[in-house]
Amino acid sequence: MSLFENIKMALMSVKAHKMRSILTMLGIIIGVAAVIVVVAIGQGGEAMLKSQIAGDGNTIEVFYQPSEEEMQQGDWEQNPFTSDDIRELEKLDKVTNVVASTSEYSTVRLRDESTDTSITGINQAYMEVNKLDIAEGRGFTSADFLGGRRVTVVSAAMQEELFEGKSPIGEIIRVGVQPVEIIGVLEKPTGLFAFGSVDTYLPWSAMRNMFGTNNYSQVTLEVGDTDDLKPTGEQATEVLNRLHDTEDSYQVMNMEEIAAGIGQVTTIMTTIIGSIAGISLLVGGIGVMNIMLVSVTERTREIGIRKSLGATRQQILFQFLVESIILTLIGGTIGILLGSGTAYLVSFFADWPSLISWQVVVGALVFSMLIGIVFGILPANKASRLDPIDSLRYE
Amino acid sequence: MIELEKIVKSYTLGKETVEVLKGITTTIEKGEFVAIMGPSGSGKSTLMNIIGCLDRPTSGTYFLEGEDVSTHSDPELAKVRNKSIGFVFQQFQLLPRLTALKNVELPMVYAGASKKEREERASDSLTRVGLRDRMGHLPNELSGGQKQRVAIARALVNDPSLILADEPTGALDTATSVAIMELFVELNKEGTTIIVVTHEPEVAEYANRVIYVRDGLLGKQPMNGGFPS
Repeated sequence: MSLFENIKMALMSVKAHKMRSILTMLGIIIGVAAVIVVVAIGQGGEAMLKSQIAGDGNTIEVFYQPSEEEMQQGDWEQNPFTSDDIRELEKLDKVTNVVASTSEYSTVRLRDESTDTSITGINQAYMEVNKLDIAEGRGFTSADFLGGRRVTVVSAAMQEELFEGKSPIGEIIRVGVQPVEIIGVLEKPTGLFAFGSVDTYLPWSAMRNMFGTNNYSQVTLEVGDTDDLKPTGEQATEVLNRLHDTEDSYQVMNMEEIAAGIGQVTTIMTTIIGSIAGISLLVGGIGVMNIMLVSVTERTREIGIRKSLGATRQQILFQFLVESIILTLIGGTIGILLGSGTAYLVSFFADWPSLISWQVVVGALVFSMLIGIVFGILPANKASRLDPIDSLRYE
Repeated sequence: MIELEKIVKSYTLGKETVEVLKGITTTIEKGEFVAIMGPSGSGKSTLMNIIGCLDRPTSGTYFLEGEDVSTHSDPELAKVRNKSIGFVFQQFQLLPRLTALKNVELPMVYAGASKKEREERASDSLTRVGLRDRMGHLPNELSGGQKQRVAIARALVNDPSLILADEPTGALDTATSVAIMELFVELNKEGTTIIVVTHEPEVAEYANRVIYVRDGLLGKQPMNGGFPS
């Protein structure tokens, strides 16, 4: 008897007991759906974390980590990047932009009110590379950077804090004692790590004049192609260590490694939660076995008839095995649909991306089929072993 | 065609061994219509199971069409049942969810026939038993006599050398019983070997020969063709 014949027969039998079949499948449905949802949300979260950590992938941060020796001698800088350094870095082959900034914490006053804020003096590249979008007013112009104008762009949080949401454009705030004019407000940040912090941005030249800082505290290089990141980073550290006559104090961070590390953590989490969900699949499988055993007993006569007509043990075994596989496979398919739908709803309402990969879908199908085989083999074997004479007499 | 030689069948119940058949030797020729009779507990059902290849004898040999089937393995016996034997049971033993046509197709499904061939031969077979217009009906839409005709059509469909009927009229009224037995006679005239197991003398009368089983042995053949009560 062909496989197709068996599948048709199994579908008929499943259809003949609709309610029972659905209840039997329920365990598999819930199990598969749970696994799909957990894995989808886990993988989606992982992808999001990675993209946010690694950014668009074509920038690399240079940082300064003084050696212990330098620390002891007090021979280290809080703002370790000079204007000369920046110029040298800009000369590097693949570098498209050198983003440089200096940060300070200070109190900002508007008439009687005040708030603590981080003041960031930025160079022109910073605006472009970090994509600081202006919601209101205008951004810095070249003239602002060159002339060291005392103008500022503030974050949306700052606008709420000091101006209670009213337009702050043209207002004068005092950073420390120095008056600065607000020319623009930034877009509210979105995304996972977007804490609306209270920020004030100044052209670096203005910052230098106001705070007397000569150097930059943070430098990020932008390259045209992601593949250039590593060699460019190495070149940059070489240049900087040479200029400053240090051994290994200027370093670059490999974002890929960090992203991979975080990926590992989320993978472990997903695996743990997924395995717990997998247990319900196991329970579902036991349900299938239970019903199949009942079904075999109920159909004792059918088995006897089939055997008297020439069905072999293998054919009977196969018939019942196919039936349990069909049961779990249908359950698995429904579970995949249900799980995908749920994952979609979760990402829709919780603003969390979900990722349903074909590997997970195929895996779920294979696994439900496997459950069908594992938990179907006992009932099927029982059916195949029935004595035809006894089964024909069975009432 | 059927040669039974010292067939013994014994069952072990706990410590006790019960010998149901105590050495039966008989021959049934091709084209015969034989009735096997005997009171309940005589061993006639056991004998039928062995002739029908549903069971193996404990000892003795059974040649079916020159083939020693007493030592066949389970799959070999299944094949013999499928190809050479057609069963007709007292309780019809039709699958309730299948139409008459599908029920008749069943032996051919296990024989591995194509769908087209199955449908053709099954409808031929049903036509032969007079159920041409009932092919699409489910068993519960048919009368007892019609059900038994479907069962006979099913028994015939693989063109077996032997039809084995176990109390084929046991669940039917007198008129229907007569019709069914006449069908058997007709089939026998067309050349099919038929063995009917029964305890009803009226049924046995249709046979050319009666084999009487008592206490696991063959009894005397009645002189007048009837059956002593």
